[in-house]
Amino acid sequence: MSKILALDRMVAEHIADGDTIFVGGFGQNVPFAIGAEVIRQKRRNLTLCRTGADILFDLMIAAGAVQKVIVGWIGNPGIGLNHAFTRALASGELELEESSNFSVLLRLMAGGLGIPFVPTRTLTDGDIVKSLPSAQQLQCPFTNEPVIAIQALKPDVAIVHVQRADRFGNLQSWGVLGETAEGVTASRKVIATAEEIVEPEVIRANPGRTFVPGWRVAAVAEVPLGAYPSYCQGYYGRDDDFYRQYDQFSRSADELTCWIKNNVTDTVGWPDFLKTLESDRIRLSTQAPNSSTAARQ
Amino acid sequence: MNTSLRVAVATARLLRTRVTCFVGIGVPSLAAMLAKRLHAPELNLIYESGVIGAHPATPPLSTGSPSVAAGAEMVGRMIDVFGALQDGRIEVGLLSAAQVDRTGNLNSTLVSSAKGQRRLPGSGGALDIALLANELIILMPHEKRRLVEKVDFVTSPGRAATRAHSQRIVTDLGSFAFSESVISLETCYEDVDPAVAAQFGNAVVDHSNAKPIPVPTEEEIRIFKTFADEE
Repeated sequence: MSKILALDRMVAEHIADGDTIFVGGFGQNVPFAIGAEVIRQKRRNLTLCRTGADILFDLMIAAGAVQKVIVGWIGNPGIGLNHAFTRALASGELELEESSNFSVLLRLMAGGLGIPFVPTRTLTDGDIVKSLPSAQQLQCPFTNEPVIAIQALKPDVAIVHVQRADRFGNLQSWGVLGETAEGVTASRKVIATAEEIVEPEVIRANPGRTFVPGWRVAAVAEVPLGAYPSYCQGYYGRDDDFYRQYDQFSRSADELTCWIKNNVTDTVGWPDFLKTLESDRIRLSTQAPNSSTAARQ
Repeated sequence: MNTSLRVAVATARLLRTRVTCFVGIGVPSLAAMLAKRLHAPELNLIYESGVIGAHPATPPLSTGSPSVAAGAEMVGRMIDVFGALQDGRIEVGLLSAAQVDRTGNLNSTLVSSAKGQRRLPGSGGALDIALLANELIILMPHEKRRLVEKVDFVTSPGRAATRAHSQRIVTDLGSFAFSESVISLETCYEDVDPAVAAQFGNAVVDHSNAKPIPVPTEEEIRIFKTFADEE
């Protein structure tokens, strides 16, 4: 059975108000196209989770889609702060569960293993653990030593972008994955965008590249540049200038709202958004040094 | 440039080849890249995104940046590197933060000032690295607002809570080390007055045994400039 759906139908059918969403990608393959579609369809009261969150979280917060974030880090990588996040936190509109990257990773691993918690040696001290409901001290039943029990997290749906997929939903990705596999495994449902939908033979010629099997995937949409402005190894580089410009225009809530209206809400879909960018820039970013021939396999 | 250079050089000199080193973004990456290009070519750089044996050509903006992955010996998963960290296999952790105090507590969550509280991006892997690395090097510009009496928020707990057998704070003026939980000035750049390098919060810590270290050499500066931006 084909799992291929258009991006708008995929989001309409698989993401509901109030869902907890694991957002995949780490540096690369941040699922901007899915996030933009969630904004366009005006989802509300979402909980977003992942280890280190970048400006896709900020855009979704600015659009009013988010009630809570569960993160180890949240900012604009290498540049600074997430301004809409900071404003929403200060006004009390946004709930924050903040720990560390390893802690969030362990919550997802426990979720994927189908167990209520995992023991760990992190979070033993400091101010973070003082107000963290998902971490409790526990005595090891074998060695009697104190450990921290960290609670499983099971998101309703994982959203990911990958290099390629087939019509059965098998997802192949390479390069930096971070905790994407663990987040996907923990989630009840997975939806994905792919740079390319390829024939199943291409997938099966290199099964070691499959990091999510089709039977775990609810739907996949072919969306070239679906991770822009982050990068996709073998396809295009990161548009660092976009992240810098975002840091500037997102400092004003009005400017950011206006940007979202012009570039996301009032557009028809992801290809429409890409048309609003100067074509030079995408060409430039598709020719960045990391899209070497060696990387594309 | 001068501040980053001096912190990076003093840190790089502490890193031996064939040591496994968990590296943060910013000056920690610059120090590790410098050491690798000078005396420690087999320094094993590990980034929290899951990259092992990284050989970054340019300073990365994030641990998931293309320059961390390109040319690396392995692009693994996050659990590979945090698992190794928890298992005690990471010899050195290199960290920076917004503030540090004399107990080694680090803050990367929020800073308070007369203008109110300012949110920062948070721990990332810093809390985990601080608690679980066998040796810890904290990289800090020597500024009053950074070397504070008491941090505004304990993101990464200090000397008493970590399992590191040694913990240092390297600044652009020199370095501090702990004996038990007592901090003192361990080294001082030869062009700096030890009494100035030893200022920390409201105190001047013991600097009676501070060893003078040479200012960055021409070779160190030349290599640093091959990959670090002019500031």
